Amino acid sequence: MRPLRLITRLRYALRRSRMLQIGVLLGFWLLGQGLSHLIGLPVPGGIIGMALVLALLAGGVIRPPSIHRGANWLIAEMLLFFVPAVMVVLDHRELLGLVGLKLAAAIVAGTVLVMAGTALTVDFCCRWRMRLVD
Amino acid sequence: MWTDPLLQGLFWSAATIGFYAAARQLFRRLPRWWASPLLVTPLLLLVLALCLHERYSGYIQCTHWLILMLGPATVAFAVPIYEQRAVIRRQWPVLLVGVFAGSVIAMGTAWILADALGLSASMRMSLLPRSVSTPFAMTVSGDLGGSPELTAMFVVLTGLIGASLGQGLLQFLPLRTAVARGALFGMGAHGVGVATANRIGREEGSIAGLVMILAGLGNVLAAPALAYLLRRYA
Repeated sequence: MRPLRLITRLRYALRRSRMLQIGVLLGFWLLGQGLSHLIGLPVPGGIIGMALVLALLAGGVIRPPSIHRGANWLIAEMLLFFVPAVMVVLDHRELLGLVGLKLAAAIVAGTVLVMAGTALTVDFCCRWRMRLVD
Repeated sequence: MWTDPLLQGLFWSAATIGFYAAARQLFRRLPRWWASPLLVTPLLLLVLALCLHERYSGYIQCTHWLILMLGPATVAFAVPIYEQRAVIRRQWPVLLVGVFAGSVIAMGTAWILADALGLSASMRMSLLPRSVSTPFAMTVSGDLGGSPELTAMFVVLTGLIGASLGQGLLQFLPLRTAVARGALFGMGAHGVGVATANRIGREEGSIAGLVMILAGLGNVLAAPALAYLLRRYA
């Protein structure tokens, strides 16, 4: 009876605490990193961790409320984790000149093409499938 | 200027998080693309770093742990994927085709445009994976022989540019399905695009998130093969 009550209490604490949930996700990432090193896979640890969590969610071992709040927080604040990478500009002053303009042009033109191409392809496939179903 | 590395680490971490928190508040009041925390925070930090004569190597040593947090953030995506499993089951062939088409266009245009504009080979390799979200893109860039740091910056720029151009594009393109509108933002502007798509509609938002994850996964899985092909034939 005693250990069962302890598990229930832990689960209850986990559902209430966002910090604990972030800790759990951190643990799965470390596990993924370890597995990635151990097997020598070219896949980053985060993706292996995500696959593990997804499998546990699908198998009903983890219920969404146990990690929901932590996951939402990590995704919502993801922009912060990008910031340090942008600071590479400090060592690449050439990006502030002509090379930077060229890069910006390449990114603008490329992105417009990617967006239009993807959206038109998906729209076409969707309507084609709908016609098949009808 | 810093004698104590611990003090330096605390200072730059605190400055990054503090500026980010302030920029987020600003964005809440002023939700325009040019007020995005992703643009405002680095600008403030750049000014501070230039004033203090700090170099990138010094800065990144202190804040590398923040980039590492992209790992757990990737794990966190298991939750929205699980919640959207009904949509995935219904739309997976269409999403796969869209992600494949988008990735081919992204890499193809990056290659051709970089060539036409006379950018260096390492710049070109760093540009190739810019359409997938950062943790994936940095892995791919390393595989291809680009610079993961430069790629991270291109990814961020792509997100900002894509999210602001996307809304204009929607008015020109004859898109009749929410899936297509979501795919546009997820493929073209990843994280920033997902946030924008969420403001347009719930289905658009969840599709954008899914497409972003699928594109990242697909590119990471395809990168070793692509790197091999590029070394062999390019």
